[in-house]
Amino acid sequence: MAYEFTKEDLQEIETIKAKYPEVMPATLPALWVAQRRFGHVEPEVQRLVAETLGLPEAHVHGVANFYTQYYKEKKGKHVLDVCTCLSCQLCGGYDILHHLEEKLGIKAGETTEDGTFTLNQVECLGACGYAPMLQVTNDKYVNHLTKEKADELVEKLKNGDELEYEQIKMPQHKNI
Amino acid sequence: MPEIFIDGHRYEFEGEHKVLQFIQDLGKEVPFFCYHPSMTAPANCRQCMVKAGQYMKSRETGEYEVDENGDRVIRWFPKLQTSCNLMAADGMVILTQETDEQVKRAQKDNLELILINHPLDCPICDQAGECPLQIQTYKYGPEGSRFEVKKVHKPKRIQLGPRVVLDAERCINCTRCTRFTQEISKTHQLTITSRGDKNYPTTAPGREFDDPYSLNTVDICPVGALTSADFRFKARVWEMNQTPSIDITNGKGTNIDLWTRDNLILRVTPRFNADVNDHWMPDAGREAYKIFNENRISRPQQKLDGEKVLSSWNNAIATLSEQIEDTDNTKILVIASPHASVEENYALNKYTNLLGLNTPVFTPHIEEGTGDGFLLSDDVAPNTNGCRLLGFKELNKSGICKEIQKAELVLILNDNLVDRSVITADQLKNKFVAVFATNNSETSEVADLVIPITTAAEHAASYVNVDGRIQRTYRAKETKYTNRRIDLEMSEGRLDRYGTNFDNWVTEDNKIDCMPMWEIVNNLADATGIDINFRGGREIMDEIASSVSNFSGVSFAAMDEHAGIQLSIKKETSTSK
Repeated sequence: MAYEFTKEDLQEIETIKAKYPEVMPATLPALWVAQRRFGHVEPEVQRLVAETLGLPEAHVHGVANFYTQYYKEKKGKHVLDVCTCLSCQLCGGYDILHHLEEKLGIKAGETTEDGTFTLNQVECLGACGYAPMLQVTNDKYVNHLTKEKADELVEKLKNGDELEYEQIKMPQHKNI
Repeated sequence: MPEIFIDGHRYEFEGEHKVLQFIQDLGKEVPFFCYHPSMTAPANCRQCMVKAGQYMKSRETGEYEVDENGDRVIRWFPKLQTSCNLMAADGMVILTQETDEQVKRAQKDNLELILINHPLDCPICDQAGECPLQIQTYKYGPEGSRFEVKKVHKPKRIQLGPRVVLDAERCINCTRCTRFTQEISKTHQLTITSRGDKNYPTTAPGREFDDPYSLNTVDICPVGALTSADFRFKARVWEMNQTPSIDITNGKGTNIDLWTRDNLILRVTPRFNADVNDHWMPDAGREAYKIFNENRISRPQQKLDGEKVLSSWNNAIATLSEQIEDTDNTKILVIASPHASVEENYALNKYTNLLGLNTPVFTPHIEEGTGDGFLLSDDVAPNTNGCRLLGFKELNKSGICKEIQKAELVLILNDNLVDRSVITADQLKNKFVAVFATNNSETSEVADLVIPITTAAEHAASYVNVDGRIQRTYRAKETKYTNRRIDLEMSEGRLDRYGTNFDNWVTEDNKIDCMPMWEIVNNLADATGIDINFRGGREIMDEIASSVSNFSGVSFAAMDEHAGIQLSIKKETSTSK
């Protein structure tokens, strides 16, 4: 299947290019444009980005390959990145991961058959204070996870409901 | 003049210098992997650490500040510096591993880190013996590894392109290869992929590393990660001997080294010459080793009743001199060759001159589209300008054909005119054709007499490249009549020196029964009663220098000293792109 940018995408990439004195720095944002459009940056898409920017294919490939948040293969509609790094692990990150594995019927790293969910086990996402947590498709964090909260999240996503940003206040210490 | 103090010695310098290069130019050493003098210095191997500081100068007086003992005060940089991208500055103080324990320790520890995931497969690695990592580990590395867990595994035996194979586990990610494709060959075909300790160089997915200069990455790879698909596992480097030479497959005259084992040329690598090819050579030229080994003409051949038979040297020389005597001088056509050296052309010319024959003619070998503006020119013969400077008549295709029509006896010096479609085999019918050739070809096929001559790997002779630079080859390979043990100009590898004819790795089979052109001319002259006695390329070049004004001042010694000599050529005759 041949990938193509829409007119709007191309316009956006032009705007991005105009921000930098050279084309090379536009690689990262242009890859984001591509990932938003196609849901991934497979080699074919990397080639499209390289052609659009007039950069060497190898360079775009090297950049895309370096960052884990660019999906180098097709993923589900929603990607659940469950943190199992130290803080989350201690607070039950693995329980959440295994619960989701059971619920969705897939192993970590796999995609459900209907293509709705991809489940990943990831390292620290920098939200140790709200452990255990997960991130939805490189975007919103879901914090202080419990099995119920995870179930609720899956239902919401299935129904196509919009997720909300969670505001969590820092603990207030009067003595300081 | 600005001064710099390295290991307690004072040196003066002018202009901009990187400290590592400056130290190297002094003949001293700092270990490094990623630095290459012809490319940018990203300082990512971290091996070339030195301790650097600056003598402090008083702002008011401009004098150096001294402490109570009268020693100059040094302000050390806060951390060790990578010398490859540190610019030399006035009053800079550098301590290398030779004088500073901290530097020594830093280099040792850095090597230990580099070696953590490096496989210990030196015994089967092609790079072993010429491997910077191996050499520097012996010199500067730790005695053993403290790493007890499993090494990172990466892809092995990846055919990156038609000529290059990657073993990612051996890679230390110095990025020399990726920088080569970005900065030198400009194809941008390689990149570093994956993240962290799993990274290695590769092409974009689905793309081949088919850069026409791809094999240079094999040369500059400081480990055995990139290897040549062709040379892989053919020979250990210490079994071969290395002889300087000139690329004869293109007019650019790229400086090369020929690697020989048991009189077979096994590989060709570029040799540094700042005025011609820097450190690089095109992949095309590396195929040339086959010309020296394969399909060679050994012993003279003669056509008897339409059938090719091997002949003796005496017979061949006698036949040719009889033919020359029996043919009317104006009916003899002598075709010189841009594929033969200056000395060979000169020797043939001198002989035909003394006989009173017409001046030799030649036709350049241009293949449009070969040139790339870098190290390949459209002129694919190594010595076109040499023929011009010797004053031969330059003819195009139709000119040569016209001359051949008139001739009854045609002498062709090493030029495959039929193969390159200058003439057809039919045009040579009913004429006596004698060729002096190195390899079997369609041209030698139609000849009545084939006299085998030496290739650039078997004689020391000079070639004038497209830019008018005269450079010479050395003898790399023995013929039936040379012996490297008694010829002090020939290099000897370990096997050459210590092998005997009774070993199973030294054979006579690879020596070709051929002679340098000038010796054949000697014999011909002898048979015709002319006084010519050439002793070798060196003496011939001296004679050329004194008799042909274009070559005045040229000698083997001068060429060796200056890596070739620039001759003045007419601009319009230059086919350089």
